Amino acid sequence: MPVAATTPLGELISPPGELIYQAIGLKKQFDNGKVVALRGLDLEIRKGEFVAIVGQSGCGKSTLLQMLGSLDKPSAGTLNYRGRSIPDLPDPAAYRALEIGFVFQAFHLLPTFTVLENVQMPMFGGKLSRSQRKARAVELLESVGLGHRLNHYPSELSGGERQRVAIARGLANEPAVVLADEPTGNLDSESALQIIDLLLDLHRKLRVTLVLVTHDPSVAARASRIIRMKDGRVISDQPAAAH
Amino acid sequence: MTFFTIVLRSLTRRPVRTCLTLVGISIGIAAVVTLVGLASGYEKGIGKQLDAVGIDVVVSNMSGGLMPKSFNESLEQKVAALPRVAETTSVLMRMMSVEEAPIMMISGREWGGFAWSGMKILNGRMPKDGSEKAVVLGTLAAEALKKKVGDTVQIEVEELTVVGIADGRSMVENGTIFLSLGVMQEVTGDIGKINFVDIRVPPNTSKEEIDLLCRDIKGIFPEGRAMVASEVVGSSQGFRVVRAMSWSTSLLAIIVGVLGVMNTMLMTVFERTHEIGILLALGWRRRRIVSMVLCESALLGMLGGLVGVGLGVLGLISLGSSPGIRGFIEPDLNPRLLLISIAIAVVVGVISGLYPAWRSSRLTPSLALQS
Repeated sequence: MPVAATTPLGELISPPGELIYQAIGLKKQFDNGKVVALRGLDLEIRKGEFVAIVGQSGCGKSTLLQMLGSLDKPSAGTLNYRGRSIPDLPDPAAYRALEIGFVFQAFHLLPTFTVLENVQMPMFGGKLSRSQRKARAVELLESVGLGHRLNHYPSELSGGERQRVAIARGLANEPAVVLADEPTGNLDSESALQIIDLLLDLHRKLRVTLVLVTHDPSVAARASRIIRMKDGRVISDQPAAAH
Repeated sequence: MTFFTIVLRSLTRRPVRTCLTLVGISIGIAAVVTLVGLASGYEKGIGKQLDAVGIDVVVSNMSGGLMPKSFNESLEQKVAALPRVAETTSVLMRMMSVEEAPIMMISGREWGGFAWSGMKILNGRMPKDGSEKAVVLGTLAAEALKKKVGDTVQIEVEELTVVGIADGRSMVENGTIFLSLGVMQEVTGDIGKINFVDIRVPPNTSKEEIDLLCRDIKGIFPEGRAMVASEVVGSSQGFRVVRAMSWSTSLLAIIVGVLGVMNTMLMTVFERTHEIGILLALGWRRRRIVSMVLCESALLGMLGGLVGVGLGVLGLISLGSSPGIRGFIEPDLNPRLLLISIAIAVVVGVISGLYPAWRSSRLTPSLALQS
């Protein structure tokens, strides 16, 4: 069954998939209202989309991503994942472990564990046995081109390689969604390109919904949809011009 | 990789700090093993001595310190006249510093009494009579004082000749200086005084009959007590003080250990705030974070306990062979005490980890990630 079709004009259109994220009037304040990060944001993200969220520093895009990942709670408004309220999830740890994978700008790898061990971290508490965890981690690392770096420590890797480890780790439990926060922000342009290619490739092959925060227009241009934010609100939401 | 790998990794990442913390706990545990081991070794040693001499019941006034108070020697005749008494002998015993030895047991035994009969002379001879100014040394006492037959030993202001060296068949006996009661009373200025009447009962006397005898003795000697030999040390007030002191000193050392582990665990939790944030973002449950911290501190406690028991055993062995204690206290390497010590260390570890674990579980993932 085709999941995408082209119009006579050649534009890519996706069939309306299942609603993954829905935000209505989402607000977030810090320091008792002194800092307002989100001021009533409305948003819908559907299954299989590759959405880029762009905007200036401080526009609230990273805050939004943290809300989507249940790393922080909204001050007001509704935020649902597949129809269930994220702030009210009975088991947010299970949501983070099984439904989503995070990729961060600063990689956030654990420095005292090897690459292979880092990738296994999200698998604790799951059903896999010790050897299955290891086999799965090896498989993931090979798929991001790091099969030769298994027993290296993060400090021994380049930035691009570290981000590949983080991506492999984000995919550990076969999540439905990958949330990437400026994944190329700490990389040189060549590594950045490779990471975006890798993410796009995984998005296509694994059909994961990819939500990517960036302020780099060339990165955003690779997405199927670009949401622009300013001052805690969405100011535009449109398919990417070129794909 | 298992959960245990993760726990272990956080202890090995800062080896110096981990080692210092281990030393902190192990000192407390070593104190338990050494002090409590010495105290119970003392108890055991006295028990063995009474056994070697063949004493069934001891009459003394234990209300004082480690050595009972003295009383009039006429008590012996009164006790000897009681039913169920086969044999009695009077003893005046003192612990004092003798020449180079810091502390030594000196036992003045009634000449001709059964207390002399258990000794086996290895060298020299017994005193000729009850008034010869002579001593017999236990083998360990001879070693500690570096004396041989023919030398003299100064007790208080008297010079006494070593006429024999004897095997007393128990460590405490071997660490003792023996002389006749009369000479002892003269040397220490306790004329007419003794502080023990040792009793043998006829063979096959039942426990109930011995209890009856003890009650009779209480009747003629209200300020003192008659005790079955096996209960002597445990009921001594002095010994109770020693036992309480060794536990309370150990407790103090353990508290210092607890603070050390708590400090280390708090530091690791603080410096790993960021990493705990990462684990939370990866979907680790707070419960798992808490058990990670608690397992780390329990492991730290257990390792500290093992090191501490090792140090304690070494301490006990070296103290046991040091000149001041050898022949006086037989160190007690009781496996139960060693297991209890390790259990204490693990509990110490867990208790020290509670607060840091609670702290770590209260972190907000987004804030922890930013730190």
